[in-house]
Amino acid sequence: MSWLAGDTDALMVAIGAVPGAWLRFRVVDHFEPVLPRKHWGTFGVNVIACFALGLIVGLEESCGAAAQRVLLLVGTGFLGSFSTFSTFSGELRAELVQRHWRSAALLASGSVAGGLLAMLAGLSLGARP
Amino acid sequence: MKPELRREIRDLGLVGAGAIPGALLRWKLETIAHSMVEGSLRSVVGADFLANMVGCLLIGLVIAQGPGRARLALAVGIGFCGSLTTFSSWMLELAKALRAGDGLGAVGVLLASLAGGVLLVFVGYALGQGLQRRRPG
Repeated sequence: MSWLAGDTDALMVAIGAVPGAWLRFRVVDHFEPVLPRKHWGTFGVNVIACFALGLIVGLEESCGAAAQRVLLLVGTGFLGSFSTFSTFSGELRAELVQRHWRSAALLASGSVAGGLLAMLAGLSLGARP
Repeated sequence: MKPELRREIRDLGLVGAGAIPGALLRWKLETIAHSMVEGSLRSVVGADFLANMVGCLLIGLVIAQGPGRARLALAVGIGFCGSLTTFSSWMLELAKALRAGDGLGAVGVLLASLAGGVLLVFVGYALGQGLQRRRPG
């Protein structure tokens, strides 16, 4: 598999991806948008992942703390796999199909606002004081 | 082995088996996107954008197959698409554009992914329904 040149790097991404996906699988109610707690799983997973990614990117920028391989393991592998855009878009589609315009608008704006705020909080917390 | 435990292990195995190629493809797209897209479009059409769009198209196909295809949903939907797509990198791009004072770029990053993602789930769903109708029985 020559496209996996740099095998240790690929291994880091793969090792991070599996627990990220497992954790998301246990938290998110996939394909069951009618349940009362419907979008909170996806929303929560994404906001937490945004905060954590902001934190390690901020730490990396301020003190170069994380090695490249740690970023691959935690950032690209675990958090990239933990957070999801496809389920978010799928849930958004489900709301639009049911003509729940307010829920769709709330889901989109809430996820973006929550994710962005968590990201900025993580970035500034990781920044050198 | 208890049947619940066996089912649990099978589910986690399916999710994990999809997650590894999904994350590796997203990682590899960084190099591919960089050579494909030129100039100012790079800030909007990055690797994560491409990964998110492909994942949305694919998850539309999977959702259209209905709840009866549980293993497909676990491996391809939750495992592969969930790991291929990423919300956190999208927000990182948005935060970077905002911090650089690039308001127009930030709006571009935000709207391109939001609209493109939902649109591609619709397209994938329509394609998936077409596939289902062709399948006999």
